[in-house]
Amino acid sequence: MAGEPCIVVQDLWYSYGGEVTALQGIDLEIEDGDYVAVIGQNGSGKTTLVKHFNGLLKPTRGRVLVRGLSDREGSPLLRDTADLTAGQLAQTVGYVFQNPDHQIFCATTRQELAFGPRNLDLPEAEVKRRVEEALARFDLEEVADKPPAVLGYGLRRKIGVAAVYAMRPRIFILDEPTTGLDWRSTMELMELIGEMHCHGHTIILVTHDMKLVAEFSQKSLVLRDGQVLVYDDTRNVFEHSEILRDTQIEPPQITALAKRMVPYGMPGDVLSVEEFYTAYCGLGER
Amino acid sequence: MTLEISIRDLHFSYPVLSGVEGPPLASDGEPIPVLKGIDLEVERGEFVSIMGPTGVGKTTLCLALNGIVPQSTGGTIRGEVVVAGLNTRQHPVPKLASQVGIVFQDPESQFFNMAVEDEVAFGPESLGLDPREIRERVDWALKAVGMNPHRHRSPFQLSGGEKQRVAIASILAMTPRILVLDEPTSGLDPIGKAEVFRVVRELKKREQMTIVMVEQESEKIAEFSDRVVILRDGKIALLDTPDRVFAQVELMHEIGLAVPQVSELAYLFNTRHNTSYTFTCLEDAYQALVSRITVYESRITVHESEVAYGR
Amino acid sequence: MSFSFDLYVQRRSWLHAVDPRVKLAFVFLGTVLMLAFKNLFIMLLSLAITHLIISSAGVPGHKVRWVWKTMLPINIMIPLLWVIFYPEGPTVLFQFWFLKVTALSFLRGIALALRLDAIAFICFTWLFTTDQTSLVRSLVKLGLPFEWGLVLAIGLRYIPTFYGLYTVVSEAQQARALDLTRGSFFTRVRSYLPILVAMLISALRTSEQLARAMESRALGLPGVQRTCLRDIRFRPADYAYTALLIALFSALLTLRFQFGLGTHPLYLF
Repeated sequence: MAGEPCIVVQDLWYSYGGEVTALQGIDLEIEDGDYVAVIGQNGSGKTTLVKHFNGLLKPTRGRVLVRGLSDREGSPLLRDTADLTAGQLAQTVGYVFQNPDHQIFCATTRQELAFGPRNLDLPEAEVKRRVEEALARFDLEEVADKPPAVLGYGLRRKIGVAAVYAMRPRIFILDEPTTGLDWRSTMELMELIGEMHCHGHTIILVTHDMKLVAEFSQKSLVLRDGQVLVYDDTRNVFEHSEILRDTQIEPPQITALAKRMVPYGMPGDVLSVEEFYTAYCGLGER
Repeated sequence: MTLEISIRDLHFSYPVLSGVEGPPLASDGEPIPVLKGIDLEVERGEFVSIMGPTGVGKTTLCLALNGIVPQSTGGTIRGEVVVAGLNTRQHPVPKLASQVGIVFQDPESQFFNMAVEDEVAFGPESLGLDPREIRERVDWALKAVGMNPHRHRSPFQLSGGEKQRVAIASILAMTPRILVLDEPTSGLDPIGKAEVFRVVRELKKREQMTIVMVEQESEKIAEFSDRVVILRDGKIALLDTPDRVFAQVELMHEIGLAVPQVSELAYLFNTRHNTSYTFTCLEDAYQALVSRITVYESRITVHESEVAYGR
Repeated sequence: MSFSFDLYVQRRSWLHAVDPRVKLAFVFLGTVLMLAFKNLFIMLLSLAITHLIISSAGVPGHKVRWVWKTMLPINIMIPLLWVIFYPEGPTVLFQFWFLKVTALSFLRGIALALRLDAIAFICFTWLFTTDQTSLVRSLVKLGLPFEWGLVLAIGLRYIPTFYGLYTVVSEAQQARALDLTRGSFFTRVRSYLPILVAMLISALRTSEQLARAMESRALGLPGVQRTCLRDIRFRPADYAYTALLIALFSALLTLRFQFGLGTHPLYLF
């Protein structure tokens, strides 16, 4: 239900092996249907944080609540991840890992896509239906009977995402899904993710690519040293891009150009080339 | 000017591995070639970047420069590759490697010793150099990449960007005439990318070093390159200076590649307003666009007269 | 997040400065000695000596504790098994049904467990104070072909990386609802298959990239003898240590086989 929280983080602290404190008191609410970009340097706690959402990590202190699938009396409940295993949460929270080769092991693409749904104990007919749908949606029909491991990187990447998609989780976490992809494959993948978003899935995109953040995300969560630096609409975050600079992240070239031209009347929150063009042409009319 | 790299009509296909699903086969059972006729000449001191869709053969082309293709990979090759005066089919790979250093994409699989210093010394040790000279080279290479304070650290203590810089130092220590960087920043975070590009910027200043860099970041390519090679379907589709290559926005998008955002902006202006802008960097765009604006008190006017900003 | 699994403790100590070949000799001779003796006091003495040596080399306490923690299952199992399967001697401590716990078999079991501990700590005096490069160099100087030494070195270097790989792959598969805890023993073993296969494929890819990286560092340049930045050389002290080791070794072996020192778990002679 849009507007309702689907992930709630309450005073989350996490230490690896009791020594390194990766997260320091994070408070956060992500709503159903949001498209959130998670930004930060390696070591800022991004991956540590999102691994709490699907139960791979449990809080050292604090709580993480995730809205479950069960639609018994009324709307689904927010459940504490500490009570559930990663396997149980996989039904609600899908996690696409950065390196598709960490997931791929099957002899055919079909089997690979079927793995997740089968683990969810779905009836075989349903598994088959979902596999065929994922193959069609991700344009993988041609390679359906080939072993994923010998396919090119771009295809393996798509298969990794499709395999999680076949599980129909409410929430999708994608950890740097466009690393190593060329521009076209990146755009194709981002469009597929955008479609999933349109169909009501909540998207959490961990990425270093500021252009993608600017173009696709609604909200941006910036982490530094295990703390939330800012969590706001992407537009606002880019408007105050000193925040990004603070954590040594550069805004996209076009945003930087617009910012330099703010004294001339350009808005400070230009997110795309088209926006810049429109804003520049509208300058004389003020 | 001396020719450091000379590639003539290079064709290459990977070998068919019997019993294993290997590279795609054509209808007659022959493997489909990856490189289908590459001609390229690079002069000493040039900085050439290579862009292309994933899987087009960029890494294969890099490996052809130090002989790993075809000597270690096998496969069918036609044409000629001459680097630093050596034909890559007539000299053993280690000898070519001493002239052509390649830094690969994955920092983890390029750091196989337990200490930074040992890693950087490995190449010179393979070359059989005197320990005193090895020490000098290791010191110099570590300073060149800014990793000197970390010389006793192990790979587990380093970030991705640091590991890549050590990889670059390990190659520099062999003093190759040609440095090849195959998507060196691909898996790195913004700080790591910045660190590696900083080193690349420094290396570019050394006139004796010829650099070939494969990258996806068009903005960095625009910053560093003397010329840009665009690969498509195993062949060179474009070979020109960055501003000319990135001005062809439609063609680049058709091939499936990005151009710097300011180049896209120039393209928008050019198609809609009949201007002839060429922006390859932020500064170009800023100067050109600002020059059309006057701020008089609080009124801003954008001049209709074009300012053709050419190069 | 980097996972640091490094046996080597980076310090400057007298033991670190000892030539790795001497330490290797210590390991070899020490192990032979430990296998020759069966007396638990001798085992305890050797443990005390190795602990002294290790701490004088600046190795932190938690590493020593880690070794004991790792040895714990062995230290429990061996006396237990010995007592169950090899009852001997007159003094019976405890009898329950068919289980007869005698003093002698209990002492033998303990002596045996302590012997393994002693050998372990002898090995660790070597591993804690010798870095990978020197270790491999010492083996190469003793006759191991360089390529084998390189294989050994790379193997050691990648152990933590593959452990990390296991963790990542395991998480990736659990994120696809793979349940490792459910079902019978066989079901559970089978559920590790996705993890192992994915790991194997990743490992194969990494090794291909590694091979290219090594080739690109001119490995195997024909007609050229490899040199070494940090070579190892015998100092006068190393000759002295070697002489001392040989002397002690011969003396102790003579005491053992000529005079029967340490053949009984409790009594020295």
